[in-house]
Amino acid sequence: MAGFEHLLTALTPLNLAFALFGVVAGTVIGAIPGLTATMSVAVLVPLTFAMPTSSALILMGAIYTGAIYGGAYSAILLNTPGTPSAIATTFDGYPLAKKGDGDYAITIACLASVIGGLVGAVALMTLAPPLSQVALAFGPVEYFWLAIFGLSLIAALSEGSLIKGVAGGALGLLLSCIGVAEVAGDVRMTFGSQTMLSGIQIVAALIGLFCIPVLIDLVAQPGHHLKVDSGSRGFRLGEAVRYLWGDKINAIRSAVIGTVVGILPGAGGSIASLVSYSEAQRTAKPGQTYGKGEPGGIIASESANNATVGGGFIPTLVLGIPGTPPDAVILGALLVQGVRTGPSLFANQGEIVYTFIWGLILATILMLPTGLLIGRYAYRTIITLPKALLVPAIAFMTIIGSYAIRNNISDVIIMIVLGAFGWIIGRFGFTASPIVLGLILGPIAESGFVQAWTIGRATENQMGMFFGRPISIAIIVFTLFTLLSPFVLARLKKIKDQAHAD
Amino acid sequence: MQTDDRKDTGGAVISAVMIGIACLVIWDSMSYTDPDSAVFPRTFAGVLIAASLAYIGMWLFGRAKAGAAQEGGASVRRFLLVAVMLGGTMAMPVVGFIGAALPVFAALTLIAMYDPWTRFRVLVYPLIGTAIVLGFFYLFREVLLVPLPTGSLFEG
Repeated sequence: MAGFEHLLTALTPLNLAFALFGVVAGTVIGAIPGLTATMSVAVLVPLTFAMPTSSALILMGAIYTGAIYGGAYSAILLNTPGTPSAIATTFDGYPLAKKGDGDYAITIACLASVIGGLVGAVALMTLAPPLSQVALAFGPVEYFWLAIFGLSLIAALSEGSLIKGVAGGALGLLLSCIGVAEVAGDVRMTFGSQTMLSGIQIVAALIGLFCIPVLIDLVAQPGHHLKVDSGSRGFRLGEAVRYLWGDKINAIRSAVIGTVVGILPGAGGSIASLVSYSEAQRTAKPGQTYGKGEPGGIIASESANNATVGGGFIPTLVLGIPGTPPDAVILGALLVQGVRTGPSLFANQGEIVYTFIWGLILATILMLPTGLLIGRYAYRTIITLPKALLVPAIAFMTIIGSYAIRNNISDVIIMIVLGAFGWIIGRFGFTASPIVLGLILGPIAESGFVQAWTIGRATENQMGMFFGRPISIAIIVFTLFTLLSPFVLARLKKIKDQAHAD
Repeated sequence: MQTDDRKDTGGAVISAVMIGIACLVIWDSMSYTDPDSAVFPRTFAGVLIAASLAYIGMWLFGRAKAGAAQEGGASVRRFLLVAVMLGGTMAMPVVGFIGAALPVFAALTLIAMYDPWTRFRVLVYPLIGTAIVLGFFYLFREVLLVPLPTGSLFEG
């Protein structure tokens, strides 16, 4: 394998200690709603300036990979994705936890995250230069269609009505427009309110729409938050490994999807995990019930979102284009350390880059024991904490977490109001996932849409701009397939059943 | 979510509210100085109106079925939870982070309490609550360097 000689450099006791600390810190931070991977990396960046370059990069990579995994804890135990990339983990993780299998769900998530992280890191090591060209093939209109594809997936995957999912996605896109328009600077949809001027912060909205409805229902009923089984059942590692082995195609496919989507700047783990989840559901074996506590759903989501870590570093290192916000922070630290990103990076500064990638692989492997231990502790805490302490503790974390993102009380108020709104519409079948994804993808979609619109107008070829480019056509076909296939399949099944009855 | 034969009137009402929101967006977009700011919200307000109208149409033709009935529970506690969280947040700039967080924590403990108050709980729960609030205060203020509100009441 390329750069194998640098493995020993990464294996120094100091680097191992940094990797271990980074994974633990990242996992704990990622598990707290509101504390994102970006924030955890950004806070620790100044500490790395005085370190040797390779150690600094290993520490940041370890924090990042740990934080992405940590997001699964709150997704599984609280139905609140700790990071946006864990949205799809809630679909099956929370139902599994409700059934009393939260420990099993966390172990599955840990194993899948390790597999995804390893596939992404190996792709970074071996295929970075050719794969980075994928990012360059995507123009504004392709990003617009990619965002719409992501929304179509979540609309189709949401429980209940597809039309409600589409409406939720459109509402999310509109909510993302609130505040000062990035393209032209108009103040939009604030209706004179200072609170709305800075727009709706994505992570605050995510916390509100996912966590507040859980709290509202939690406080209304006596009894435990999750089903509690008596007796210790350990990590349930054997059970999880057996399931994962039976579902290995799902794990590998999701990791590959996560790596490829991670390469696209801005797309990130949320789209990767949704595409993987959709594929896992589409290829489900008989008896697998996705959306009701199927471990395969957690495998798809977690394998994909951890693979985006390695995938996201590909354009960051080869092109100098950060794939995700944490990549942007790490890119800044790289520049401070004197590393010059670009196509010749692997040849000119191979020692630093390969040591960093080996460090990322080591951190991913270290995530297995640390993730299992922390996950077990988190699960036991959640199930044993009395409701009279659990509710205020979670509520308090949602408030401080939302505030800390921009040091803004308005974000907390919007979070609570959106949460109450989410709870009301949730009772009528409008789920939070499409709204949140609309909010996440809104800026990407709008930027791509307006740029394509302007170029199309200037070249007097708007239709061709939106519908005439090969990659756009492929994404549009996938989008239509996602939206229409449930109806077509249901119709075909009905015809088949009728034929059998006759 | 299992469906039953009830017509989804609630879903249709929410769809009507969505149409109202979309109309508000289109009305607001009339005031933008640059057409580039308006094209995206108008397009997706149109999508929202189309999807909501489609759902209302389905409801009118009896094809929109309600989901499984939601669990009941104490509505007063639900309302109090949201009210206390909102009130505490709004009070934070005035009374400071700790001045708002401790009463909010205590109030939410009372709202979420279903078990009888024993002497142990009366002693231990406030201690745990205080430890959580102060622990997070230290973590965010001193470690993560987040400037938590100090409160205008206490500023010289």
